Amino acid sequence: MKHESVPIYWRNVPQYYRLVGKRCKKCSKLYYPPVVRCRCGSREFEDVALPHEGKLVEYTVLYQVGTDFLKQKPLIVGLVEVADGVRIPSQIVDVQPEKVTLGMRVEAVFRRVSTDGRHGLVMYGCKFRPVDL
Amino acid sequence: MKNVHIAGGALHVVGRHYDKNIDDMAAVVLDRALAEAGVDIDALYVASSTTELANKQQLLGVYILESLGLDKLPTFRVENGDNSGAAAIAAAYYAIKSGEHHCVAVVGVDKPHDLLSNQQQDVYSTVLDAYFEKYFGFTPLSYAAMMAKAYMKRYEYRYEDLAMWPILMHDHGVSNPNAYFRKRAKLEDVMNSELVSEPLRLYDVGPLVDGAAAVVLCSRGGGPRILSIATASNTTPFGLRTDYVQLYSTMNAAEVAYKKAGITPRDVATAEVHDSFSIFGVLALEGLGLVERGATLRLLKNGDFPVNYSGGFKARGNVMGATGVYQLLEVTWQLEGRGFKRVDGNYGVIHSMGGVDRISTVIVVGV
Repeated sequence: MKHESVPIYWRNVPQYYRLVGKRCKKCSKLYYPPVVRCRCGSREFEDVALPHEGKLVEYTVLYQVGTDFLKQKPLIVGLVEVADGVRIPSQIVDVQPEKVTLGMRVEAVFRRVSTDGRHGLVMYGCKFRPVDL
Repeated sequence: MKNVHIAGGALHVVGRHYDKNIDDMAAVVLDRALAEAGVDIDALYVASSTTELANKQQLLGVYILESLGLDKLPTFRVENGDNSGAAAIAAAYYAIKSGEHHCVAVVGVDKPHDLLSNQQQDVYSTVLDAYFEKYFGFTPLSYAAMMAKAYMKRYEYRYEDLAMWPILMHDHGVSNPNAYFRKRAKLEDVMNSELVSEPLRLYDVGPLVDGAAAVVLCSRGGGPRILSIATASNTTPFGLRTDYVQLYSTMNAAEVAYKKAGITPRDVATAEVHDSFSIFGVLALEGLGLVERGATLRLLKNGDFPVNYSGGFKARGNVMGATGVYQLLEVTWQLEGRGFKRVDGNYGVIHSMGGVDRISTVIVVGV
Protein backbone atom coordinates (compact mmCIF):
# COMPACT_ATOMS: atom_id res chain seq x y z
CA MET A 1 0.00 0.00 0.00
CA LYS A 2 1.24 3.47 -0.75
CA HIS A 3 1.21 6.49 1.56
CA GLU A 4 1.54 4.73 4.89
CA SER A 5 0.74 6.65 8.06
CA VAL A 6 3.75 7.88 10.05
CA PRO A 7 1.93 8.03 13.44
CA ILE A 8 0.64 4.46 13.09
CA TYR A 9 4.16 3.23 12.42
CA TRP A 10 5.81 5.23 15.19
CA ARG A 11 3.40 4.30 17.94
CA ASN A 12 3.89 0.60 17.23
CA VAL A 13 7.68 0.76 17.21
CA PRO A 14 8.07 -0.87 20.69
CA GLN A 15 6.29 -3.97 19.36
CA TYR A 16 7.89 -3.91 15.92
CA TYR A 17 11.45 -3.38 17.17
CA ARG A 18 11.54 -5.02 20.60
CA LEU A 19 8.47 -7.32 20.85
CA VAL A 20 7.10 -5.44 23.85
CA GLY A 21 4.04 -7.12 25.32
CA LYS A 22 1.94 -6.31 28.37
CA ARG A 23 1.89 -8.32 31.58
CA CYS A 24 -1.03 -7.90 33.97
CA LYS A 25 0.28 -6.75 37.36
CA LYS A 26 -2.51 -8.61 39.16
CA CYS A 27 -2.70 -12.04 37.50
CA SER A 28 0.53 -12.07 35.44
CA LYS A 29 -1.25 -12.93 32.21
CA LEU A 30 0.87 -11.94 29.22
CA TYR A 31 -0.61 -10.18 26.19
CA TYR A 32 0.87 -9.74 22.75
CA PRO A 33 -0.38 -7.64 21.04
CA PRO A 34 -1.07 -5.25 23.96
CA VAL A 35 -4.56 -4.74 25.42
CA VAL A 36 -5.94 -2.10 27.81
CA ARG A 37 -7.91 -4.34 30.17
CA CYS A 38 -6.97 -7.80 31.40
CA ARG A 39 -9.54 -10.57 31.39
CA CYS A 40 -9.17 -10.61 35.19
CA GLY A 41 -10.51 -7.03 35.18
CA SER A 42 -7.27 -5.25 36.00
CA ARG A 43 -6.11 -2.25 33.98
CA GLU A 44 -2.60 -2.21 35.39
CA PHE A 45 0.11 -3.61 33.18
CA GLU A 46 3.85 -3.56 32.94
CA ASP A 47 5.76 -3.61 29.67
CA VAL A 48 7.62 -6.83 29.10
CA ALA A 49 9.96 -7.52 26.22
CA LEU A 50 9.13 -11.02 25.04
CA PRO A 51 11.94 -13.57 24.77
CA HIS A 52 13.77 -13.25 21.47
CA GLU A 53 14.08 -16.98 21.06
CA GLY A 54 11.27 -19.43 20.55
CA LYS A 55 9.92 -22.45 18.78
CA LEU A 56 8.17 -22.56 15.40
CA VAL A 57 4.85 -24.25 16.12
CA GLU A 58 3.08 -23.84 12.73
CA TYR A 59 3.88 -22.24 9.40
CA THR A 60 2.94 -22.00 5.75
CA VAL A 61 4.70 -20.93 2.58
CA LEU A 62 2.57 -18.14 1.16
CA TYR A 63 2.66 -17.48 -2.59
CA GLN A 64 -0.34 -15.12 -2.89
CA VAL A 65 0.74 -11.87 -1.22
CA GLY A 66 -0.29 -8.24 -0.93
CA THR A 67 1.35 -5.44 -2.91
CA ASP A 68 3.98 -4.72 -0.22
CA PHE A 69 5.44 -8.19 -0.51
CA LEU A 70 5.48 -8.94 -4.23
CA LYS A 71 9.27 -8.80 -4.43
CA GLN A 72 9.66 -11.06 -1.39
CA LYS A 73 7.39 -13.92 -2.34
CA PRO A 74 7.03 -16.63 -1.41
CA LEU A 75 6.84 -15.61 2.24
CA ILE A 76 7.34 -18.14 4.98
CA VAL A 77 4.95 -17.07 7.72
CA GLY A 78 4.31 -18.88 10.95
CA LEU A 79 3.63 -18.84 14.65
CA VAL A 80 6.59 -18.60 16.99
CA GLU A 81 5.95 -19.66 20.57
CA VAL A 82 8.11 -17.47 22.80
CA ALA A 83 6.36 -18.07 26.12
CA ASP A 84 3.73 -20.45 27.43
CA GLY A 85 0.68 -19.93 25.20
CA VAL A 86 2.08 -16.78 23.55
CA ARG A 87 2.68 -17.24 19.83
CA ILE A 88 3.83 -14.39 17.64
CA PRO A 89 2.71 -14.34 14.00
CA SER A 90 5.98 -13.71 12.18
CA GLN A 91 7.89 -14.11 8.98
CA ILE A 92 10.55 -16.81 9.02
CA VAL A 93 13.67 -15.70 7.14
CA ASP A 94 17.20 -16.77 6.18
CA VAL A 95 16.01 -20.26 5.30
CA GLN A 96 14.74 -22.08 2.24
CA PRO A 97 11.12 -23.29 2.57
CA GLU A 98 12.12 -26.96 2.29
CA LYS A 99 14.52 -26.62 5.24
CA VAL A 100 11.82 -25.37 7.62
CA THR A 101 10.67 -27.91 10.20
CA LEU A 102 8.03 -27.79 12.88
CA GLY A 103 9.37 -27.31 16.37
CA MET A 104 12.63 -25.79 15.17
CA ARG A 105 14.33 -23.20 17.36
CA VAL A 106 14.19 -19.67 15.95
CA GLU A 107 15.51 -16.27 17.06
CA ALA A 108 14.32 -12.73 16.45
CA VAL A 109 16.19 -10.59 13.93
CA PHE A 110 15.61 -6.95 13.02
CA ARG A 111 14.65 -6.59 9.38
CA ARG A 112 13.03 -4.33 6.84
CA VAL A 113 9.35 -5.27 6.44
CA SER A 114 8.19 -3.03 3.60
CA THR A 115 8.98 0.22 1.82
CA ASP A 116 6.40 2.87 1.06
CA GLY A 117 7.41 3.80 -2.45
CA ARG A 118 10.48 5.88 -3.26
CA HIS A 119 9.85 8.78 -0.90
CA GLY A 120 7.83 7.24 1.91
CA LEU A 121 8.69 5.32 5.06
CA VAL A 122 10.98 2.33 5.22
CA MET A 123 9.28 0.12 7.78
CA TYR A 124 11.09 -2.34 10.03
CA GLY A 125 10.23 -5.08 12.47
CA CYS A 126 11.23 -8.35 14.06
CA LYS A 127 11.26 -11.49 11.99
CA PHE A 128 12.56 -14.89 13.10
CA ARG A 129 15.32 -17.08 11.68
CA PRO A 130 16.45 -20.60 12.53
CA VAL A 131 19.06 -20.82 15.29
CA ASP A 132 20.64 -24.10 14.29
CA LEU A 133 20.90 -23.93 10.51
CA MET B 1 -42.62 -10.12 19.40
CA LYS B 2 -43.06 -9.53 15.70
CA ASN B 3 -42.42 -12.22 13.13
CA VAL B 4 -39.90 -11.45 10.40
CA HIS B 5 -40.89 -12.69 6.94
CA ILE B 6 -38.83 -12.73 3.78
CA ALA B 7 -41.14 -10.78 1.48
CA GLY B 8 -38.96 -10.57 -1.60
CA GLY B 9 -35.45 -10.88 -2.87
CA ALA B 10 -33.24 -10.60 -5.89
CA LEU B 11 -29.63 -11.23 -6.70
CA HIS B 12 -27.22 -10.14 -9.37
CA VAL B 13 -25.33 -12.83 -11.24
CA VAL B 14 -21.80 -12.69 -9.84
CA GLY B 15 -18.79 -12.00 -12.02
CA ARG B 16 -16.48 -9.23 -13.11
CA HIS B 17 -18.78 -6.33 -13.76
CA TYR B 18 -16.37 -3.76 -15.12
CA ASP B 19 -19.23 -1.83 -16.73
CA LYS B 20 -21.23 -1.03 -13.59
CA ASN B 21 -20.74 1.38 -10.69
CA ILE B 22 -21.28 -0.09 -7.24
CA ASP B 23 -24.34 2.02 -6.36
CA ASP B 24 -26.13 1.21 -9.62
CA MET B 25 -25.45 -2.50 -9.30
CA ALA B 26 -26.99 -2.48 -5.81
CA ALA B 27 -29.90 -0.36 -7.05
CA VAL B 28 -30.78 -2.88 -9.78
CA VAL B 29 -31.26 -5.77 -7.33
CA LEU B 30 -32.94 -3.60 -4.71
CA ASP B 31 -35.43 -2.45 -7.34
CA ARG B 32 -36.27 -6.05 -8.23
CA ALA B 33 -36.57 -7.13 -4.59
CA LEU B 34 -38.91 -4.22 -3.82
CA ALA B 35 -41.04 -5.02 -6.87
CA GLU B 36 -41.38 -8.63 -5.76
CA ALA B 37 -42.28 -7.69 -2.19
CA GLY B 38 -44.71 -5.01 -3.39
CA VAL B 39 -44.36 -2.96 -0.21
CA ASP B 40 -42.96 0.37 0.90
CA ILE B 41 -39.91 0.12 3.11
CA ASP B 42 -39.17 2.07 6.28
CA ALA B 43 -35.39 1.83 6.03
CA LEU B 44 -32.53 0.50 3.93
CA TYR B 45 -29.56 -1.36 5.40
CA VAL B 46 -26.51 -1.58 3.17
CA ALA B 47 -23.89 -4.28 3.66
CA SER B 48 -20.52 -3.73 2.06
CA SER B 49 -17.14 -4.90 3.19
CA THR B 50 -14.80 -2.79 1.12
CA THR B 51 -16.63 0.04 -0.62
CA GLU B 52 -14.24 2.76 0.64
CA LEU B 53 -11.12 0.81 -0.20
CA ALA B 54 -12.14 -0.78 -3.49
CA ASN B 55 -14.68 1.64 -4.92
CA LYS B 56 -13.76 4.91 -3.19
CA GLN B 57 -17.33 5.56 -2.06
CA GLN B 58 -18.84 6.13 1.36
CA LEU B 59 -22.47 6.86 2.18
CA LEU B 60 -23.39 4.17 -0.29
CA GLY B 61 -27.04 3.88 0.85
CA VAL B 62 -27.84 7.42 -0.25
CA TYR B 63 -26.43 6.88 -3.73
CA ILE B 64 -28.30 3.59 -4.10
CA LEU B 65 -31.57 5.31 -3.14
CA GLU B 66 -30.74 8.21 -5.48
CA SER B 67 -30.41 5.75 -8.33
CA LEU B 68 -33.96 4.54 -7.61
CA GLY B 69 -35.44 7.99 -7.01
CA LEU B 70 -36.35 7.12 -3.42
CA ASP B 71 -36.17 10.11 -1.10
CA LYS B 72 -36.25 10.73 2.67
CA LEU B 73 -35.68 7.10 3.70
CA PRO B 74 -33.24 6.37 6.51
CA THR B 75 -30.30 4.25 5.42
CA PHE B 76 -27.49 2.64 7.37
CA ARG B 77 -24.29 0.98 6.27
CA VAL B 78 -23.03 -2.12 8.07
CA GLU B 79 -19.41 -3.24 7.79
CA ASN B 80 -18.25 -6.42 9.47
CA GLY B 81 -15.70 -7.61 6.95
CA ASP B 82 -16.96 -10.63 5.03
CA ASN B 83 -19.66 -11.03 7.72
CA SER B 84 -21.23 -7.70 6.67
CA GLY B 85 -24.18 -9.22 4.79
CA ALA B 86 -25.45 -11.31 7.69
CA ALA B 87 -24.71 -8.48 10.11
CA ALA B 88 -26.90 -6.09 8.08
CA ILE B 89 -29.66 -8.70 7.99
CA ALA B 90 -29.34 -8.94 11.78
CA ALA B 91 -29.67 -5.16 12.15
CA ALA B 92 -32.76 -5.13 9.91
CA TYR B 93 -34.24 -8.09 11.80
CA TYR B 94 -33.82 -6.28 15.12
CA ALA B 95 -35.45 -3.13 13.70
CA ILE B 96 -38.54 -5.17 12.80
CA LYS B 97 -38.52 -7.21 16.01
CA SER B 98 -38.48 -4.00 18.02
CA GLY B 99 -41.65 -2.83 16.30
CA GLU B 100 -39.97 0.37 15.14
CA HIS B 101 -40.11 -0.68 11.47
CA HIS B 102 -42.58 -2.86 9.55
CA CYS B 103 -40.67 -3.43 6.32
CA VAL B 104 -36.96 -3.05 5.83
CA ALA B 105 -34.69 -3.77 2.88
CA VAL B 106 -31.16 -5.08 3.05
CA VAL B 107 -28.84 -4.80 0.09
CA GLY B 108 -25.37 -6.32 0.08
CA VAL B 109 -22.87 -5.26 -2.54
CA ASP B 110 -19.13 -5.49 -3.17
CA LYS B 111 -17.03 -4.95 -6.28
CA PRO B 112 -13.48 -6.22 -5.70
CA HIS B 113 -12.78 -6.17 -9.44
CA ASP B 114 -12.48 -2.41 -9.40
CA LEU B 115 -8.98 -3.38 -8.17
CA LEU B 116 -6.14 -5.55 -9.46
CA SER B 117 -5.76 -8.97 -7.84
CA ASN B 118 -2.78 -8.02 -5.64
CA GLN B 119 -4.63 -4.94 -4.44
CA GLN B 120 -7.56 -7.23 -3.64
CA GLN B 121 -5.22 -9.14 -1.32
CA ASP B 122 -4.39 -5.86 0.47
CA VAL B 123 -8.06 -5.02 0.90
CA TYR B 124 -9.19 -8.53 1.86
CA SER B 125 -6.42 -8.69 4.48
CA THR B 126 -7.76 -5.65 6.34
CA VAL B 127 -9.98 -8.05 8.33
CA LEU B 128 -6.78 -9.14 10.08
CA ASP B 129 -5.11 -7.03 12.75
CA ALA B 130 -3.66 -4.23 10.61
CA TYR B 131 -0.75 -3.51 12.96
CA PHE B 132 0.47 -6.94 14.02
CA GLU B 133 -0.71 -9.38 11.36
CA LYS B 134 -1.28 -7.67 8.02
CA TYR B 135 1.79 -5.48 8.61
CA PHE B 136 4.03 -8.56 8.42
CA GLY B 137 2.41 -9.94 5.28
CA PHE B 138 -0.18 -12.27 6.77
CA THR B 139 -3.40 -12.74 4.84
CA PRO B 140 -6.56 -14.68 5.75
CA LEU B 141 -5.33 -17.36 3.32
CA SER B 142 -2.12 -17.89 5.32
CA TYR B 143 -4.10 -18.46 8.52
CA ALA B 144 -6.48 -20.80 6.73
CA ALA B 145 -3.47 -22.78 5.50
CA MET B 146 -2.12 -23.18 9.03
CA MET B 147 -5.54 -24.27 10.29
CA ALA B 148 -5.79 -26.78 7.42
CA LYS B 149 -2.42 -28.22 8.43
CA ALA B 150 -3.50 -28.45 12.05
CA TYR B 151 -6.78 -30.12 11.08
CA MET B 152 -5.17 -32.67 8.78
CA LYS B 153 -2.60 -33.50 11.45
CA ARG B 154 -5.14 -33.80 14.26
CA TYR B 155 -7.57 -36.03 12.37
CA GLU B 156 -5.06 -37.84 10.14
CA TYR B 157 -6.17 -36.65 6.73
CA ARG B 158 -4.17 -36.18 3.56
CA TYR B 159 -4.57 -33.27 1.17
CA GLU B 160 -6.56 -35.53 -1.18
CA ASP B 161 -9.21 -35.70 1.53
CA LEU B 162 -9.48 -31.92 1.80
CA ALA B 163 -9.81 -31.78 -2.00
CA MET B 164 -13.25 -33.38 -1.59
CA TRP B 165 -14.59 -29.98 -0.49
CA PRO B 166 -13.90 -28.02 -3.72
CA ILE B 167 -15.04 -31.02 -5.78
CA LEU B 168 -18.39 -31.05 -3.96
CA MET B 169 -18.71 -27.27 -4.31
CA HIS B 170 -18.12 -27.44 -8.05
CA ASP B 171 -20.71 -30.24 -8.33
CA HIS B 172 -23.24 -28.00 -6.59
CA GLY B 173 -22.32 -24.90 -8.58
CA VAL B 174 -23.31 -26.61 -11.84
CA SER B 175 -27.00 -26.31 -11.04
CA ASN B 176 -26.89 -22.74 -9.71
CA PRO B 177 -27.53 -20.31 -12.58
CA ASN B 178 -26.00 -17.48 -10.53
CA ALA B 179 -22.71 -19.26 -9.79
CA TYR B 180 -19.35 -17.98 -11.01
CA PHE B 181 -18.10 -21.48 -11.90
CA ARG B 182 -20.63 -23.87 -13.40
CA LYS B 183 -18.41 -26.78 -14.22
CA ARG B 184 -17.39 -29.92 -12.36
CA ALA B 185 -13.89 -30.34 -10.99
CA LYS B 186 -12.00 -33.61 -10.85
CA LEU B 187 -9.51 -34.66 -8.20
CA GLU B 188 -6.59 -34.09 -10.59
CA ASP B 189 -7.81 -30.54 -11.33
CA VAL B 190 -7.57 -29.76 -7.64
CA MET B 191 -4.31 -31.63 -7.07
CA ASN B 192 -2.59 -30.02 -10.06
CA SER B 193 -3.75 -26.48 -9.33
CA GLU B 194 -1.29 -23.85 -8.22
CA LEU B 195 -0.02 -23.89 -4.63
CA VAL B 196 -1.15 -20.62 -3.02
CA SER B 197 -0.28 -21.18 0.65
CA GLU B 198 0.84 -24.71 1.28
CA PRO B 199 -0.95 -27.06 1.71
CA LEU B 200 -3.77 -25.03 0.13
CA ARG B 201 -4.09 -24.77 -3.63
CA LEU B 202 -6.02 -22.46 -5.92
CA TYR B 203 -9.08 -24.73 -5.70
CA ASP B 204 -9.21 -24.22 -1.92
CA VAL B 205 -9.81 -20.48 -2.38
CA GLY B 206 -13.17 -18.94 -3.17
CA PRO B 207 -12.62 -16.39 -5.96
CA LEU B 208 -13.46 -12.78 -5.09
CA VAL B 209 -16.28 -11.67 -7.36
CA ASP B 210 -18.48 -8.62 -7.93
CA GLY B 211 -22.08 -9.05 -6.92
CA ALA B 212 -25.14 -7.59 -5.25
CA ALA B 213 -28.15 -9.11 -3.53
CA ALA B 214 -31.22 -7.57 -1.92
CA VAL B 215 -33.88 -8.89 0.42
CA VAL B 216 -37.01 -7.26 1.82
CA LEU B 217 -38.03 -8.24 5.35
CA CYS B 218 -41.53 -7.53 6.69
CA SER B 219 -43.44 -8.12 9.90
CA ARG B 220 -46.62 -8.77 7.88
CA GLY B 221 -47.53 -11.29 5.20
CA GLY B 222 -46.77 -14.98 5.00
CA GLY B 223 -44.02 -16.99 3.48
CA PRO B 224 -40.64 -18.03 4.76
CA ARG B 225 -39.51 -16.57 8.06
CA ILE B 226 -36.27 -15.77 9.79
CA LEU B 227 -36.70 -17.72 13.03
CA SER B 228 -33.57 -16.54 14.78
CA ILE B 229 -30.29 -14.73 14.32
CA ALA B 230 -27.27 -14.89 16.59
CA THR B 231 -23.84 -13.33 16.25
CA ALA B 232 -20.78 -14.07 18.34
CA SER B 233 -17.32 -12.57 18.22
CA ASN B 234 -14.08 -14.30 19.09
CA THR B 235 -11.60 -11.77 20.43
CA THR B 236 -8.65 -14.10 20.98
CA PRO B 237 -5.82 -13.18 18.60
CA PHE B 238 -4.67 -15.92 16.23
CA GLY B 239 -1.42 -16.37 18.17
CA LEU B 240 -3.18 -16.94 21.49
CA ARG B 241 -5.85 -19.44 20.39
CA THR B 242 -5.97 -22.64 22.37
CA ASP B 243 -7.16 -24.66 19.37
CA TYR B 244 -6.71 -24.20 15.62
CA VAL B 245 -9.21 -26.81 14.46
CA GLN B 246 -12.49 -25.24 15.53
CA LEU B 247 -14.38 -22.01 14.89
CA TYR B 248 -15.26 -20.60 18.31
CA SER B 249 -17.39 -17.75 16.97
CA THR B 250 -19.41 -20.20 14.87
CA MET B 251 -20.04 -22.62 17.71
CA ASN B 252 -21.13 -19.86 20.05
CA ALA B 253 -23.43 -18.20 17.51
CA ALA B 254 -24.92 -21.54 16.43
CA GLU B 255 -25.76 -22.59 19.98
CA VAL B 256 -27.77 -19.42 20.58
CA ALA B 257 -29.41 -19.43 17.13
CA TYR B 258 -30.66 -23.02 17.49
CA LYS B 259 -31.94 -22.37 20.98
CA LYS B 260 -33.83 -19.23 19.97
CA ALA B 261 -35.35 -21.00 16.95
CA GLY B 262 -36.24 -24.04 19.05
CA ILE B 263 -34.51 -26.48 16.71
CA THR B 264 -31.50 -28.79 16.83
CA PRO B 265 -28.84 -29.42 14.16
CA ARG B 266 -30.79 -32.56 13.20
CA ASP B 267 -33.68 -30.40 11.95
CA VAL B 268 -31.48 -28.57 9.44
CA ALA B 269 -32.31 -29.57 5.86
CA THR B 270 -29.85 -27.27 4.11
CA ALA B 271 -27.01 -24.96 5.05
CA GLU B 272 -24.99 -22.27 3.31
CA VAL B 273 -21.66 -21.91 5.10
CA HIS B 274 -18.74 -19.53 4.84
CA ASP B 275 -16.11 -21.52 2.94
CA SER B 276 -13.90 -18.65 1.80
CA PHE B 277 -11.18 -21.31 2.06
CA SER B 278 -12.12 -24.99 1.91
CA ILE B 279 -10.95 -25.70 5.45
CA PHE B 280 -13.39 -23.09 6.79
CA GLY B 281 -16.29 -24.94 5.13
CA VAL B 282 -15.21 -28.11 6.91
CA LEU B 283 -14.82 -26.34 10.27
CA ALA B 284 -18.13 -24.50 9.78
CA LEU B 285 -20.07 -27.75 9.36
CA GLU B 286 -18.53 -29.00 12.58
CA GLY B 287 -19.04 -25.68 14.36
CA LEU B 288 -22.71 -25.74 13.37
CA GLY B 289 -23.00 -29.21 14.87
CA LEU B 290 -24.05 -30.68 11.52
CA VAL B 291 -21.10 -33.08 11.53
CA GLU B 292 -19.12 -34.51 14.40
CA ARG B 293 -15.72 -32.85 14.90
CA GLY B 294 -13.04 -34.33 12.66
CA ALA B 295 -15.50 -36.42 10.65
CA THR B 296 -16.39 -34.07 7.75
CA LEU B 297 -13.86 -35.22 5.19
CA ARG B 298 -14.57 -38.91 5.86
CA LEU B 299 -18.26 -38.13 5.39
CA LEU B 300 -17.76 -36.28 2.10
CA LYS B 301 -16.02 -39.31 0.65
CA ASN B 302 -19.29 -41.20 1.04
CA GLY B 303 -21.15 -38.83 -1.25
CA ASP B 304 -23.29 -35.70 -1.27
CA PHE B 305 -24.09 -33.58 1.77
CA PRO B 306 -26.75 -30.84 1.98
CA VAL B 307 -24.34 -27.95 2.29
CA ASN B 308 -23.77 -25.04 -0.10
CA TYR B 309 -26.12 -26.08 -2.90
CA SER B 310 -25.20 -22.67 -4.31
CA GLY B 311 -21.66 -23.92 -4.87
CA GLY B 312 -20.40 -21.96 -1.86
CA PHE B 313 -17.58 -19.45 -2.02
CA LYS B 314 -15.67 -21.80 -4.29
CA ALA B 315 -18.21 -22.05 -7.12
CA ARG B 316 -20.78 -19.31 -6.51
CA GLY B 317 -17.92 -17.00 -5.55
CA ASN B 318 -16.88 -14.88 -2.58
CA VAL B 319 -19.01 -11.75 -2.84
CA MET B 320 -17.42 -10.40 0.35
CA GLY B 321 -19.89 -8.22 2.27
CA ALA B 322 -22.77 -9.19 -0.01
CA THR B 323 -22.37 -12.92 0.58
CA GLY B 324 -24.62 -13.11 3.64
CA VAL B 325 -27.53 -11.71 1.64
CA TYR B 326 -26.87 -14.20 -1.18
CA GLN B 327 -26.83 -17.01 1.37
CA LEU B 328 -30.14 -15.97 2.94
CA LEU B 329 -31.86 -16.00 -0.45
CA GLU B 330 -30.19 -19.25 -1.49
CA VAL B 331 -31.28 -21.10 1.64
CA THR B 332 -34.81 -19.68 1.41
CA TRP B 333 -35.10 -20.65 -2.25
CA GLN B 334 -33.76 -24.14 -1.54
CA LEU B 335 -36.48 -24.61 1.08
CA GLU B 336 -39.07 -23.35 -1.43
CA GLY B 337 -37.67 -25.16 -4.46
CA ARG B 338 -37.21 -21.92 -6.36
CA GLY B 339 -34.30 -22.02 -8.80
CA PHE B 340 -32.90 -24.92 -6.77
CA LYS B 341 -34.09 -28.48 -6.24
CA ARG B 342 -36.43 -28.34 -3.25
CA VAL B 343 -34.78 -29.74 -0.13
CA ASP B 344 -36.62 -32.17 2.08
CA GLY B 345 -37.31 -30.24 5.27
CA ASN B 346 -38.52 -27.01 6.78
CA TYR B 347 -35.41 -25.45 8.25
CA GLY B 348 -32.26 -24.02 6.74
CA VAL B 349 -29.23 -22.33 8.24
CA ILE B 350 -26.81 -19.72 7.00
CA HIS B 351 -23.36 -19.20 8.47
CA SER B 352 -21.45 -16.01 7.74
CA MET B 353 -18.00 -15.35 9.17
CA GLY B 354 -15.85 -12.22 9.39
CA GLY B 355 -12.07 -12.55 9.34
CA VAL B 356 -10.50 -15.78 10.49
CA ASP B 357 -13.00 -16.90 13.13
CA ARG B 358 -13.28 -13.35 14.53
CA ILE B 359 -17.06 -13.10 14.22
CA SER B 360 -19.86 -15.36 12.99
CA THR B 361 -23.56 -14.89 12.40
CA VAL B 362 -25.89 -17.86 12.23
CA ILE B 363 -29.41 -17.40 10.83
CA VAL B 364 -32.18 -19.99 11.01
CA VAL B 365 -34.80 -19.81 8.24
CA GLY B 366 -38.08 -21.74 8.33
CA VAL B 367 -40.86 -22.38 5.83
